[in-house]
Amino acid sequence: MPTGTYTEEVVCIQRTGTLYDCLELILDRGMVIDVFIRVSLVGIEILKIDARIVVASVDTYLRFAEACNRVDLEFDRSSTTVPELLGGVAGGGGSPAGRMATGLGKKKAKKAVAGVGEKVKRAVGADDEEEEGEREERESRPRRRTAPTRRRSASASEPSEPSEED
Amino acid sequence: MTAPAPAPAPAPRSVYVYGVVRASHAMPPGRTGVGERPAPVRTVRAGALAAVISDAPARLRAKRRDLLAHQDLALTLGRDGPVLPMRFGMVAPDEESVRRQLLCTQNDCLAALERVDGRIEMNLKALPTEADLGALVREDPEVSRLRTAARRAPGYEASVRLGEAVARGLKRRAAAAAATVLAELSAVADATVHGPEVEGCVLNASFLLDRRGRRRFEGAVERLTPAHRDRVELRLTGPLPCYSFTEGRA
Repeated sequence: MPTGTYTEEVVCIQRTGTLYDCLELILDRGMVIDVFIRVSLVGIEILKIDARIVVASVDTYLRFAEACNRVDLEFDRSSTTVPELLGGVAGGGGSPAGRMATGLGKKKAKKAVAGVGEKVKRAVGADDEEEEGEREERESRPRRRTAPTRRRSASASEPSEPSEED
Repeated sequence: MTAPAPAPAPAPRSVYVYGVVRASHAMPPGRTGVGERPAPVRTVRAGALAAVISDAPARLRAKRRDLLAHQDLALTLGRDGPVLPMRFGMVAPDEESVRRQLLCTQNDCLAALERVDGRIEMNLKALPTEADLGALVREDPEVSRLRTAARRAPGYEASVRLGEAVARGLKRRAAAAAATVLAELSAVADATVHGPEVEGCVLNASFLLDRRGRRRFEGAVERLTPAHRDRVELRLTGPLPCYSFTEGRA
């Protein structure tokens, strides 16, 4: 249930700091047992880059949301201008902190995954088409945005194209 | 990867491993794990240990959702006793192999569990800051020389050289301040380790703390942050599962 997941996500971030700031620990520390397989679909290095970019973008949005809420509290009048700053995503200027952060996290998170993550995925030839969230974003996105990148990456990373399967 | 696999038996279900706990550890009910359709979390017991696992999802990526699921479970488990968090993405071929591993590594794991019992990990990252650029220009002879040169003969080349020197200077002074901070914080932690190098950071260190010492530690960071604000930006994250302290020896 995406809604539940994302709500929990925001709560979790506030409790433990941003995910971005401990990503390398989750991916590079922790116990390893030799006979277990480390999941490796496109190579862990790529996994790391991919995750880091996507997570970083979302964290930025979450920080914006947080900053936004602080502004809200300190200067009441500015609450109407903040949504504009963020591209008009958060409509309810007076909504409670939690709900606002959640809304931002969800909408913008998908955009970040689709936008930035896609570039990396295309670069490494990873195929992630059927991931939920990314798909609906892809459909609604203007075609124009992907076209120039595709042309460029096609010439730059020709050898990696056949590995689209994963 | 090189060993030729013996004739593969009908594939038993592979399992994702979240962490290792004592066999007596109470499991939080109703938890689910990683993946697009998260499977229920369960335990596999062997001797004095238990591994917390779920069926491995078919396609696993380090997605935000999955990283959080992994981390959140380790944190939740940590509330009821020590846990050795696995690195993200550890998948065992089947439950039986997990059981065998637990038995092989029992003593090491028990020692490590003992070590992290009642403790948490806090992570500190230190980054260069552009605050008080004036001080850098005054104190760093190279920056001040290049600045003068760039003023005398402005241009792209001169700007780049100056900018490079500034970046080096910012990094140097941040690293020096971070070393002071590290020494002070290590003194109030049970153990300190350096984390993996992170781009843009001059320090990435993890501290093992008694749960009850958390406030004191945070207080120390809060004092150090303004004291070094002009030289380094400090970013504290935690409490985290004890990712960096999963080895038994102290």
